[in-house]
Amino acid sequence: MMAGVQAVFYREMLMLIRRIGGLGYLFSGLLFPMIYLLAFGWGLGDSVAVAGGYIAYLAKGMLAVTVMMNAFQQTALSVSAARFYYRTFAVLRLSPIHDGAIVLGIALAGTVRALLAAAVVFVAAKLFFGIAIVTGPGLLGLVLTAFAFAAFGVAVGLSIKGQEQFSIVINFFITPMTFFCGSFFPITNLPSVVQQIVRFLPLSLTNQLLQATSLVGEAGIAAFALVFFMMVIYLYSTYRVHNYSEF
Amino acid sequence: MSVLVEQVTCSRHGQVILRNVSLEMKTGEVMGLLGPNGAGKTTLIRLMAGLARPDAGHIRVFGEDAARRSVKFRRLIGLVPQENTFESELTIEQSMLCTAKLYGIVDARTRVEEVCRQFQIGSWRKKYPEKLSGGMKRRAMIARAMLPSPDVLLLDEPSVGLDPDMRQDIWQAVRNLKAAGKTVLLTTHYMEEAEELCDRIAFLRAGQVLYTGTTTGIRQQISPEQEISLEDAFLALALEGRRIG
Repeated sequence: MMAGVQAVFYREMLMLIRRIGGLGYLFSGLLFPMIYLLAFGWGLGDSVAVAGGYIAYLAKGMLAVTVMMNAFQQTALSVSAARFYYRTFAVLRLSPIHDGAIVLGIALAGTVRALLAAAVVFVAAKLFFGIAIVTGPGLLGLVLTAFAFAAFGVAVGLSIKGQEQFSIVINFFITPMTFFCGSFFPITNLPSVVQQIVRFLPLSLTNQLLQATSLVGEAGIAAFALVFFMMVIYLYSTYRVHNYSEF
Repeated sequence: MSVLVEQVTCSRHGQVILRNVSLEMKTGEVMGLLGPNGAGKTTLIRLMAGLARPDAGHIRVFGEDAARRSVKFRRLIGLVPQENTFESELTIEQSMLCTAKLYGIVDARTRVEEVCRQFQIGSWRKKYPEKLSGGMKRRAMIARAMLPSPDVLLLDEPSVGLDPDMRQDIWQAVRNLKAAGKTVLLTTHYMEEAEELCDRIAFLRAGQVLYTGTTTGIRQQISPEQEISLEDAFLALALEGRRIG
């Protein structure tokens, strides 16, 4: 299985290198978090009371959002385009590799892509606000989130029947998570009923890990939950690949 | 028997595309799949490649069920679809190298070199697909499908839209595959191509096989008294839709 994963990953990386050469590719994915980081950072600055300072808090939140959006969006778009326009997904399906290896290879490439984007946000946060923002648990959270959302991107990319369905997923899943999962403000500011729902969503777990300094206690549980979420999504995506029909 | 299609029925969105289709292909045979547009040729090819599952019936390649897509099955079959399936971000060579790796070919680079020589893919292998003509892409797609040396090759309209020179190249490639003992199924709208390349043809109309046999046989059965062209026989079958043979 690992030879298959390597082959898919190699192919995805070659394509990424070619795409990344175009300025628009990298920066279009970064625009959203950068605008929020700069607008909220400069606009609200220290006027929002959060332990450790609002800008540092927001910078961590934007890292989580960047990773989620890049991993999900770029992977889902790439997989759906490979089905509808380029017909290249069939090349993977025809090859004698395990369906799980296809998901793993694509999701690992999506992870690399998302972490590259996060690195740019990290550098921008350092440059503009002079803050160091990633702890060990935070880095673990980013990697797990990137993989989980890239794998989710594979499942969505294989499920949607057209590009318009893609915006439904963005509007109903990704955008609410962006704003309610503790990236812009602590979820404790939300009504308690909403908090109970939101705290178990993957992006809330990522933000929890980004704010933590060790994996002891709640951060450990958050990491475990994120691993569980990642495994479920991976298995679901593998199931989607297995049952995919090329018509 | 290398390929066995048994009573295959396939529908999509409530519309039956293939109805009880049965075919047999011998090892080393080149079979032409003929029929008007919408007859179900591409659907049958996709089912045979394991890219979709039939509602009923079975397709077996050397005994391996296509719907199960076993690793053994995927090593037996090669597909060259109608449309270009080269990744736009990769050069032809990179794309072939990736395919070789996907098939676990140990010395991938050497195998790519070998196949490029065999299919006369010259320096343009370093180019991106958008820079190549339709014929070059088609030839490279056949070469890519042959990287793992599959025993059965499915070619969906391999020479459509190509100029006569390029068509001759593709024909030669098919002849070479036959000489190498490969079993080839090709769909085509060109009667000349069917006569030139195919040992037998199957005529498909509205999802049903109306005829299976040689090109000479179909002409004689449609018009026993008078010699007619394959195109006339094709038109007679396409318009009347009667089952013969």
